[in-house]
Amino acid sequence: MSFTSMEFMIFFPIVSILYYLIPHKRRWIWLLIASYYFYMSWNPKYAILMGTSTIITYLSGLLIEKADKISDKKQAVRLKKWWVFLSFFSNLAILFLFKYYNFFGNVFTRIFSYFHVTIHVPSLDLLLPVGISFYTFQALSYTVDVYRKDIKAEKNLGKYALFVSFFPQLVAGPIEKSKDLLYQFDEEHFFDYNKVKNGLLLMLWGLFQKMVVSDRLAKVVDTVYNAPNKYKGFAIVIATILFAFQIYCDFSAYSDIARGAAEVMGFRLSKNFDAPYLSKSTKEFWRRWHITLGAWFKDYLYIPLGGNRCSKPRYYFNTMVVFIVSGLWHGAAANFVIWGTLHGIYRVTGEMLKPVKKSVIKKLKININTFSHKLFQVLITFILVDFAWIFFRANSFTDATTLIKNMFYFNPWIFTDGTIYKLGLSHKEFFIAMLGLFIVMLKDILGRRINFRIAFSKQSIVFRWFVYFSAIVFIMIFGIYGHGYEAKQFIYFQF
Amino acid sequence: MTKKIVQKVVIFIIILISIVSLLNPIFIVKTDHRGKLIEGLYNHTGDAYDVILMGSSHMNGGIDPNVLWHQYGITSFNYATAGQPIDVTYYLLKEVLKKHKNPIVVVDVYYLCLTNKYGEEGYIRYVIDSMKPSINKLNAIMNCTPFMDLPYYLFPILKYHNRWPELTKNDFRYDSAYKYYAKGFEAGTNKYGKDNISDLTATGTAELPPKSLEYLNKFIELSKKEGFKLIFTNMPNDFNSIAGKDGWVKDPAKMLNQVAEIAKANNIPFIDYGSKMDEIGFNFKEDMNNSGHVNIWGANKVTNDLGKFLKENYNLVDHRNDPKYAQWNSDYMRSQIASLSK
Repeated sequence: MSFTSMEFMIFFPIVSILYYLIPHKRRWIWLLIASYYFYMSWNPKYAILMGTSTIITYLSGLLIEKADKISDKKQAVRLKKWWVFLSFFSNLAILFLFKYYNFFGNVFTRIFSYFHVTIHVPSLDLLLPVGISFYTFQALSYTVDVYRKDIKAEKNLGKYALFVSFFPQLVAGPIEKSKDLLYQFDEEHFFDYNKVKNGLLLMLWGLFQKMVVSDRLAKVVDTVYNAPNKYKGFAIVIATILFAFQIYCDFSAYSDIARGAAEVMGFRLSKNFDAPYLSKSTKEFWRRWHITLGAWFKDYLYIPLGGNRCSKPRYYFNTMVVFIVSGLWHGAAANFVIWGTLHGIYRVTGEMLKPVKKSVIKKLKININTFSHKLFQVLITFILVDFAWIFFRANSFTDATTLIKNMFYFNPWIFTDGTIYKLGLSHKEFFIAMLGLFIVMLKDILGRRINFRIAFSKQSIVFRWFVYFSAIVFIMIFGIYGHGYEAKQFIYFQF
Repeated sequence: MTKKIVQKVVIFIIILISIVSLLNPIFIVKTDHRGKLIEGLYNHTGDAYDVILMGSSHMNGGIDPNVLWHQYGITSFNYATAGQPIDVTYYLLKEVLKKHKNPIVVVDVYYLCLTNKYGEEGYIRYVIDSMKPSINKLNAIMNCTPFMDLPYYLFPILKYHNRWPELTKNDFRYDSAYKYYAKGFEAGTNKYGKDNISDLTATGTAELPPKSLEYLNKFIELSKKEGFKLIFTNMPNDFNSIAGKDGWVKDPAKMLNQVAEIAKANNIPFIDYGSKMDEIGFNFKEDMNNSGHVNIWGANKVTNDLGKFLKENYNLVDHRNDPKYAQWNSDYMRSQIASLSK
């Protein structure tokens, strides 16, 4: 069940109301049942996979802790490392089998065919389990956290299973580290009116981003990206710009609904997005975009590889590895690898050109503190990020290259002859999309100085309720959801 | 503290539901069916109808209240709407009976032939979206629509919200009275020009689909409980248009024989105009609009016959000279049939 479905609108109030009615000591059981129900509503079979990952990482925690008690320190470290390896190996093997097997099978077949060697890798008809990348990473963080002694191993399998399956963040994050979330299941959460209110407000904001903005922008993006040969010039530019906001609003909406839902029940999840398109460099972008994934890679891949405390070439290599793996994490296709690689190249080139940039600024006496300079940086960053998104969204690598080729065509008349309103959104729909986008960006810009939720809670009840009702009605009318009304359903052909 | 929070939540929900309820009618699509049901159900409760006509499009374009009025002085209203499934008809009848006590109820049984659990959403919505909040409406939603659609029927804005770019003044200030003169009747003016190819002489019976049987019995029970007279009809139509098709019974003629038997066992008249065509001078080629529906001339013939039947078998007062019903005379002058005979 997705967050914007009618099922969730019924599921969530029931879960959260009962959560507060159940005695504190038993609440985790209720949440565990709810989480597995939530997950199994996609496909009950997937629960077996999640259960397997849960048990493996749970055991890894206990075994690591046990190994730590061995008096022979060398043997203890070796054994601990062995358990970490086994946990990673088995979890990543499951992930590989379900997500990457076919992709790599194809890659090998292609490579061999290049050398005129025909090999046959049997393909598997497996449906990608929802959220597998998210919960696998979350579960693996536990193994490492116990290994690093950041937390103690969790003895209660049920509570640990809840950590892996906690429904608000189960299928699309934020990816929580065990040291940040696991202990919260032992906390007693009293019903706090303000927390509940704030949580609901955040969920409402998420629904707005997803239903009013993201799903509306998707119509233009889908129109153009599903027929790359049909469109040229500004049509592709517009669709590409809108995709940047579509994916942002979509993902950020999911995280906000997750955080809001958790907050209603007294849990704190990490912020996942922080005005990413206001970043002045791609480096900053990655500190603001999918923050929890970035943190995961930093903690569990980048730093173990040596991070930046090593030679320059090694640092560049580490950076590239992290970005390519991150690309693969997003999806098993060449597009995602290219997308990741591009971001890696941006970062490495940025680092390499740092001295050049400094000397140019010095020579041209550019004042880097002006608004115009900052705006320039924001725009350049956006263009770079958005260019990479082409590979992320295009249905294939060929489509991506077609789109890039067709993009270079000067057809400004599409803005004046009405063509722009034939890309999936009528002019009225386009207006709502732009209005929604404006509100999202305004919130990002002002959000750097103002904490909206605190400022809002200080307003009078009349104003606050007016905003609540207006927002709900606005989403109800302008949201993209449900089967919708189709005239043909109501046209009666008999007479 | 808890009490205060509960109070706040309740007030919030009440205000929200009130706002949504105000917005719902704006977004609901305005069809002739909606207009007539609002008029017939809620705005003309002063008109005590002698006869009420229920059913699907066959009835909608089959029996003309203006003809019943003009020829026999019978007051009636046609509540039939296109594709109205029989279960929906049942709850609509219950809603009608709240304001119109003890009329003669004529139900067209064509939709008993439907085998699907639920009718088409668009058709169901003609009726349910036009009903004011009530137990009957809730029962109709619970029994005639899939459970997961419940919120979409309770709050039609969830269904129609994407109509926002096409809203006009008429959506905000809807005048449902514009066609009341027709008393819910509307027939086509085509001439089908083909013969009936379905077998009208079929003998033997066939089982009714379970839901149809359940609701046929419910009509009979309701008539006994509420003490109203019930009549079943079937309009002339070519069964071949539905026989054996997806969602319809294999042998409608035989199934209707079964209906006739059930009606007989319960002492309820069943007038099958399919087998009365010769008797009333009904010419299939000339009097049908298409293979399934009678046209305005066919409706005139069928209505005249029904009027005669009603007059002969029930104690109905002729209201034509009652000054209270003067409006019915001018309504007749605007009717489809009157304009055709001008």
